[in-house]
Amino acid sequence: MPGLRAALPAALLLLSSFPPAAAERLPWPQVPGVMHPLNPSHREAVWAAWTALHYINSHEASPSRPLALHKVVKAAAKMIPRLGWKYYVHCTTEGYIHGENAGSCFATVLYLKKSPPVVHGKCVHAQNKKQIQEEDHRFYEYLQHQKKPITANYIPDSNGNIAHDHLQLWGLAIVGSSYIMWKQSTEHTGYLLAQVSSVKQQIRKDNAVAFKFIVLLHEIPTQQMNVCHMYLVWTLGHPIRVKYSCAPDNHGLEDGSGQDSGSAAGTSHETKGNF
Amino acid sequence: MSRGAVKTLDTSIQLEMRALLLLAALGAVAAATTENFVGHQVLRIVPSSDAELQKVQELQELEHLQLDFWLSPRGLGNPVDIRVPFPSLQPVKAHLEANGVPYSIMIEDVQALVDLEQMQMLRRRRFVPLSTSTFDYTSYHTLEEIYAFMDLLVAENPNLVSKLEIGRTTENRPIYVLKFSKGGTNRPAIWIDTGIHSREWVTQASGIWFAKKIVQEQDEGLANILDQMDIFLEIVTNPDGFAFTHTSNRMWRKTRSKRSGSLCVGVDPNRNWDAGFGGSGASSNPCSETYHGPYANSEPEVKAIVDFVKSHKNIKAFISIHSYSQLLLYPYGYTTTAVPDKEELHQVAKEAVAALSSLYGTNYKYGSIITTIYQASGGTIDWTYNQGIKYSFTFELRDTGRYGFLLPASQIVPTAQETWKALEVIMAHTRGHLY
Repeated sequence: MPGLRAALPAALLLLSSFPPAAAERLPWPQVPGVMHPLNPSHREAVWAAWTALHYINSHEASPSRPLALHKVVKAAAKMIPRLGWKYYVHCTTEGYIHGENAGSCFATVLYLKKSPPVVHGKCVHAQNKKQIQEEDHRFYEYLQHQKKPITANYIPDSNGNIAHDHLQLWGLAIVGSSYIMWKQSTEHTGYLLAQVSSVKQQIRKDNAVAFKFIVLLHEIPTQQMNVCHMYLVWTLGHPIRVKYSCAPDNHGLEDGSGQDSGSAAGTSHETKGNF
Repeated sequence: MSRGAVKTLDTSIQLEMRALLLLAALGAVAAATTENFVGHQVLRIVPSSDAELQKVQELQELEHLQLDFWLSPRGLGNPVDIRVPFPSLQPVKAHLEANGVPYSIMIEDVQALVDLEQMQMLRRRRFVPLSTSTFDYTSYHTLEEIYAFMDLLVAENPNLVSKLEIGRTTENRPIYVLKFSKGGTNRPAIWIDTGIHSREWVTQASGIWFAKKIVQEQDEGLANILDQMDIFLEIVTNPDGFAFTHTSNRMWRKTRSKRSGSLCVGVDPNRNWDAGFGGSGASSNPCSETYHGPYANSEPEVKAIVDFVKSHKNIKAFISIHSYSQLLLYPYGYTTTAVPDKEELHQVAKEAVAALSSLYGTNYKYGSIITTIYQASGGTIDWTYNQGIKYSFTFELRDTGRYGFLLPASQIVPTAQETWKALEVIMAHTRGHLY
């Protein structure tokens, strides 16, 4: 019968577009194409906002003033057939390092099954963009002129202190880690930078500034601390280049030996380009 | 939105500066007449052109300014740090500004830092403070220091405070609970615990502050509560984990229990309770940070509280404190089913958060665990609620991720103060609605 035949493929379409962890979601009607408004404090709205900010921080590559989430103002989600859930967020932002009002962003975040989330974001900056560029420029030149590689450990330290000298280095770690965090974020797993375990500058012959980082990323909701080895190349005015390898903090095997640097059995990624 | 005082005073300083300050501080202690640095500032200049570099080098020639170069001019892009005595501030800044040389103020008042350093040195010289009045509430402490504090508090307030040992940890450390009581027998009680996840340092630190606050409290609110109810406060709910965060791994969350058949150590104490135990929202993998353990109450730290609650039988409010995220949560975490008392709990949470925010404007969200953060099975307050303790809440204190678990010590007291405002609301409501 023709009517039934036509109905069947549509039903299959609906089934195939159910996200894998459907049990974890609140019972929304999963009708494709319909915009579902979300409570701004709903966890998926908050984490979609963070995913967007991770993307924005890594692509704007400004170690002087990376952005942090202040508040989600408005959020909604829509199911895109065959692809996944797309989140629409409007949020206010604050300076990651000093917490000053930084403006607001509108962003869409489409979570895909096998690729990093697709983010489109537009931010209105409350800060003086020129001043920020100048700070980045000054920092860049300072780093370029180092004859002896800059090294540091534990930023922030166990008491939460960040030495004044290390603030911009912390900003650079945020920018690089944001790249990793954006790529690894899913609808149900989010990340925040917990600490820079160590950082060591690599003096290069070309103009670029390079660092080897070991950072700790806090994974939510698993609560895991992931140890990421991150090689970062910063050329002013160009997108940041990051090569990384992450593994869960291998705490079980240590016994009083301090922070483990993680096993080799992790995920290894790099951006395009030569190192 | 303010977020508490994260001042530049908690800046740590380079080795040579530290030596200088130490010298100055020691000098100040030894002979009270030596140099003081009141109003002195440390300016930083990063010369980005030869002209700028020259202007800075010129400053070195001007002896009458008495400038103290902490970092001498080295070349373009290298920071130059200068301690400028108060009388020279005006001319130096004018010189820099007139020549278009940008500078920043690294240290606003050198003497303030010297004083701080001196205080810290005095504190370090004494391993145990002689009273809870000289205890440093603005620093993080070790397990030994916290246990010593408890004994001091009891000794100073024997009619109000007593210390109970409710069990022993895997590594055989005593588990202590402070009881605040004005008398009576088995009065209805409020339970507060901090530090169940050992890396959440601001919680144990806040617990210490709460203990002192309770004994100090002069106002009607707390007096009314203590007239009718007892307060139990467990400051270090996971002593093994806490010791481990000091000696080995600052990011340790779980207990330190070992099981044959696994190389990994520890169970998540907030997944080990008998409420939806082993369900979604906890891991069966011993190496996971949310490992629920082989069975409910397998962890002595959890069993100790379970036994205490069951034998007391009269606890009316149960508050378990975590960090970070700035949230006030009520059950359930293991299921989307709403608790029967949802409306009332939601209203109490709303008032508590409003009170909290009124102090420093800190932004909190509130709701049930599962809708606000994520599904979590075997959690503390799911179990306590199911035991009939209606006013079961969990806090996630500061911050929202900038420092996370590594919250600067300067935020301990503001965090404790604002959290206390919320606790007062919950305690007052409990007292006014005893069941």
